[in-house]
This record gives sequence, structure tokens and C-alpha cells, in this order.
Amino acid sequence: MYNSQMSKQGFWDENLQLLQQEYWRRWSELVRAASGGESALPVDSPWEMSLAHWWQAVSPAVPPVARDFMVRMMEQGRQFFRMADIFTTAAHAAGEEPDWKDLLDRIPTDPFSTSGSVTEAVGDGPTQKVMGFWDLPLHSWERLAMSLLSLSGDLFGNVIPGVPMEVGRFFSVPGTGFSREEQADQQRLLQLLHKYLQALQEYRRFFSRIGRESTARLRDTLDHLAAKGEVIDTARRLYDLWAVTCEEVYIEWVSSADYARINGDLVNSFIAVKRLMSKLLDARLDALNMPTRRELRAVQARMQENRRENRRLCLELEALKRVMAAAPNKSEQPGSAPVKSSHKSPARKKSTPVISAALKNAGTGSNETH
Amino acid sequence: MKPIDIPPEQLAAEMAEYSRKLGHGLTNLLNAQEVDTGVTPRQAVYCEDKLTLYRYQGVDEGWRNPVPLLIVYALVNRPYMTDIQEDRSTLRNLLVQGQDIYLIDWGYPDDADAGLTLDDYINGYIDRCVDQVCEASGQQQINMLGICQGGVFSLCYTALHQSKVKNLITMVTPVDFQTPGNLLSSWARRIDIDLLVDTLGNVPGELLNWIFLSLKPFTLIGQKYVNMVDLLEDETRLKNFLRMEKWIFDSPDQAGESFRQFVKDFFQNNGLINGGVRLGEWLVELKKITCPLLNIYGEQDHLVPPDASRALRDLTGSSDYSEVAFPGGHIGIYVSSSAQKTIPPAIGRWLNERS
Repeated sequence: MYNSQMSKQGFWDENLQLLQQEYWRRWSELVRAASGGESALPVDSPWEMSLAHWWQAVSPAVPPVARDFMVRMMEQGRQFFRMADIFTTAAHAAGEEPDWKDLLDRIPTDPFSTSGSVTEAVGDGPTQKVMGFWDLPLHSWERLAMSLLSLSGDLFGNVIPGVPMEVGRFFSVPGTGFSREEQADQQRLLQLLHKYLQALQEYRRFFSRIGRESTARLRDTLDHLAAKGEVIDTARRLYDLWAVTCEEVYIEWVSSADYARINGDLVNSFIAVKRLMSKLLDARLDALNMPTRRELRAVQARMQENRRENRRLCLELEALKRVMAAAPNKSEQPGSAPVKSSHKSPARKKSTPVISAALKNAGTGSNETH
Repeated sequence: MKPIDIPPEQLAAEMAEYSRKLGHGLTNLLNAQEVDTGVTPRQAVYCEDKLTLYRYQGVDEGWRNPVPLLIVYALVNRPYMTDIQEDRSTLRNLLVQGQDIYLIDWGYPDDADAGLTLDDYINGYIDRCVDQVCEASGQQQINMLGICQGGVFSLCYTALHQSKVKNLITMVTPVDFQTPGNLLSSWARRIDIDLLVDTLGNVPGELLNWIFLSLKPFTLIGQKYVNMVDLLEDETRLKNFLRMEKWIFDSPDQAGESFRQFVKDFFQNNGLINGGVRLGEWLVELKKITCPLLNIYGEQDHLVPPDASRALRDLTGSSDYSEVAFPGGHIGIYVSSSAQKTIPPAIGRWLNERS
């Protein structure tokens, strides 16, 4: 359908126009259904469907850099219209005033007891779409964590629900036999993973609490607007208000000592996993008689020390050359001291005593700072 | 009165408009080509390891301040922020003010640089750059401008090498790292920095990006991309956006040992306030800074809160201390159009009166 309609000049626009026509057709169906008529088409997010179809058609031709931007813009566009959609659809379907308070009140009181993400926790109703916005910070972390482990996807996202605290005890059973040490390492890795998952769970719970607080704040703001007689009449204003509210609440909550601890636990427990994984990998590399990370670090440290030493020696050599060059002149013309002023610095203070004395005698100045 | 009343036709119109902009914008994105950054002509005058010292070429041949200005940028992110596009270039506007500008580009450290300490950076690299600039200009002293973390380095450097610095300017520079509301500091204090550096070696730029984005996730990961849709149709604005986007995510890895010391000494121990910052064998004492000092900060800076910068006013031995408060944020102070009109001229005037 898409390929037959495209032309070289207007590929993107023409395809989008077709999809827009489809969108309008579906939207008309939606409005008709909301007014009490029957709809022949599924009415779930027609705009999202048309956008997804369009993207499916054009994305293979889009280079990765532009693709990343487009995906972000489309994802935020979805968030933006989902919010407006749930309020308008609910209102107009019922043929009465928007029951926005009811929508906001439907958010569960303790959604994160077992769930893996904010979205999952809140369920599949309209409030889920609102709370989906709160997955942004979590996704950010998950992407980073997987990247640091050189993995793709969300490895821990599906593991998290219901990590029982007592599971860790099973990983403490002592190993036996010839591979005892190896067993101990594997147990230690499982313990660290368990600790990380607990930290991740706490992190997510914290975000769910902020999410709930955000909806409460949004409710207050809407109340306030209603009292002033102000109306939000565009999807964009609603989205902006939601974003500002979320950010405001977020800043308040993450400024707390509690969050600093939770965030610290998350990062520290994750790095502890990574550290042991590196150690185990090093053991494998060592067994294969290949260079290990540990050895590389030792070489790097020695190399850095050599760089410093070389630098010091070069500076001393230069100083010595200056002194040597100055010496005959000094003997011929006492007091003239035509020695180029040297900017003696702390970095150069590590000269040998002989050189230091020579420099001093040559009138190259003293270190002003110490 | 109902506070939300979005008529279906309004919603439909907005959706259609959003889609139209996306479709049209995709064409512009595909045509955007490689994003260029750093617009002012420059010449490399000194290289060492990953570092390059650049001298910027003046836009006219008018009066030039005989004392060169050395800009010390942060290790985090890249210095082309100060020269991001032709009409928004702090560097270019400083040249217009008659400054002879040198800038240290730290490059991209790799594993071979993991052992670099703050002593190596400040008493090593910066000191050698200062010597190079002195030699090239025939001056005994330079003016120094430190930006953000580079401002911290500049303060430490001047405290240890006061005779080489004629005037010091710090921009969006944290001094008190533990003021209320300093999220970075609050978070950093709970990180096991030894574990982090011992495990990762160099600290990946990606980790720093995550931290910076976490300061304002809904604005920086969400709302920004909705706003971007509005820019897509304007090729110039789109390119400007892409430049900023490139800069934000162009984060060099941090040399592990330096990062360890920076977090411990400054974020965790607040060393410029409490004392105890040591670079090699030398103790940094801000009271030893006696040259004129101009401290510029952003009133809406979410990375370096104003109080964190203003703390400098009573800590040095300078009898000529001034402040400039810019009504903007950490990035806006370099790239906003209002900053272009106010900040470089303020720096230029201040330097020219004292050089």
C-alpha cells in the first residue's frame, strides 16, 4: 500500500497523508461510537496505530541517528496524546463532564509490592497510561546497567517481581569438594545479584511513591485551576502540566537523604556484581593464558608512574641545561645573570637537591607557594 | 467549571499536526548531514598525550589585550559548548572583546590514562600549558578562565601558582559542594567511589550522562523531544538542536584516579571549604589566591546552585573580588542569546581594566 503510493519527492509526507486519512476515518468512528452509535472499527488508540504503521513503513530507510530521535519523539508523542485521550474519551463517551478526579483516584495505593515497573504495577487501565511517564527514569537506569554489563534488553526487569528477602540464605550454603572455591564464587555472585535486585526493587518502589504523589499534586493543581475558572483546552497544555508536575515532585523527593541512600545502594550493589563478574572473567582468561584486566591495570599503573618520572627527568634536564648555559656568562659578567626566568612550580619541586641548589644560585626564583 | 476540556476536534487537530510535523521533520532530519561544532578558527599550539592547547584566531585586528586568556574547561563534556555555533559563541565574543584566547581541550582519555591524578592534571598539564602560553605571548603571567570543574582546577592552580596568574575568572564553578539542594553532591556522598573506580577503571561518560539526565528526567528525556517536534520544520533550529544534543551526549570517559579524588575531595569532603585538598605533596589553600577574581554564576543553575559558587567570596585572599549573576542556567550562560550580549562583554571589560 505504502510503496505503490510513494514518489521520490514526497515519500514521507504522502505516506503520512494516507495514514492521516486513515486516522481521521477512525477518529470519526470513535466520535460516532462515543455519541452512542456503533463502530465497525476497533477504537483503541487509532492515532497510535496509524503512527506505528507509518513508522513501520519508513523506519528501515532511516539511518540510526535519525531513528533514535524519531523513536524518542514518537514515544513522547504517544505519552502526550495518551493523557489527553483518556480524559477526552472518558468524558465524551459518558456524555458528561470529565471525571478526571476519578481517573486519578484509580491509581492503586500500593502498586509496587510485587511489580516490575511502574506501568505494570498500575495495571492496564487509563491510569496505567498516565503512570507510564514514570518509567522514564527507570528505563534510563536499565539501559545504563545493561550497557555496563555489555548486555542488551532488560535482563532484570522480568526477574524483579517478588524477590523474597529470604532467598539470599540459600546462596550461603557452603560449597564442598574439589570445586569448592568455584562454588563459593558462584554463590557470592548469586548473593550479590540478589542484593542488587533488592536494591532495584526498592528503587522502583520509591518511584512508584513519587508517581502517586505526582497524581495527587496534579489533582490539586487541577482543583486550583478549576477554582480560578481556568481550563486546559489542548493536549499540549495537559502534557506540559503533567511533565512540570512530575518534575516538581521528583526534585522534592530525590533531594531527600532517603533517596540518596536508595540510589547509592542501587549503584553500589550493581557495581559489586560487575566487579565479581570481572573477577570471574579474569579467572577464565588466566586459565586460557590470556592477559587479564588485573594485569592490564598493573601495567597501566606502572606506565603512569613512568610517565611522571620521565616528565620529572626531562624538566631536570632542561633546568640543568639552562644552568650550564648560564654558568660561563655569569663568570664573565658577574651580576648580569642573563638567565631566562623559569616558572618554577610545585610540579618542578621534585628536582634533586643538587639541581635545586643550582637553580637557586642561578637566580631562577623561588617557589612562592610553599 | 471543569479544568480539562479538550474538544475531540481539538485533540484530533493536534494529533494531525504532530504527525504532519513528524513526517515533514523526518525529511529534514535526513538532510541534516553531520552536525558541525566549534565554529571559530583555531590553531593547535601544543599537544601532550590526549591534550591539545588551541589558540583562537581573532575576528578583527583591533586592540588586543597583551595578557593572554587561558580557558580551562571541565573534564566532563567537551569544550565546544563555548563555541557551539556562529551566533552563539562565547569564544568569538571574547575575541571581539580583544582577548587573546587559548583553550585546553582535554580530549578523550582512554585506559592508558586511568592513572592520571588531579596532581597530573593541575600541576602537570595545566602548568605546562600556562608555560606554553607565556612563552608564546612573551608574558610572565596569564589571565585564566575556569569553567565548571575547570573552575575548580583553576582555583587550585592559582592557589599553588599565584605568580603566574594575573587575573582569575571562574564560571559556574562549585566551591561549596554541600549546599542545600545540591543533588549531585547529595547522591555522590552515598556512592562507594573506591568500589566504582576499582571496578570500572575509567568512569564511562555514559554513567555521567545518566547522572546528569537524572537531575531533570522529565524535561531532559521527555518534554524536550515533544518540543523538538516543533523545531523539525525549521532546518536552522533543527541543526542547532542537534548540536546541543550532540554536546550533551558527547561525554568523554573520566580518568579513574582523577575521578576518585575529585568525588572524595570535593563532593564527599567538601575540601575547598573544609580544607584538606592535596595535589601531590601540596596543600591547596584558597587564601593564597591574591589576584583579582571575577566569579560568574547562573541564578537558575541546576548543576551548580548559586550558593555553591557564591561561597567563594570569603575564601580567597583577593582584595579585588567581583561577582556576576546571570539570570539563566548552567548551559544557557554560554549559549543563550542574552548571555552572548552580557557575559563576554562583562568579562572583556573586567579583564581589560586589569591587564
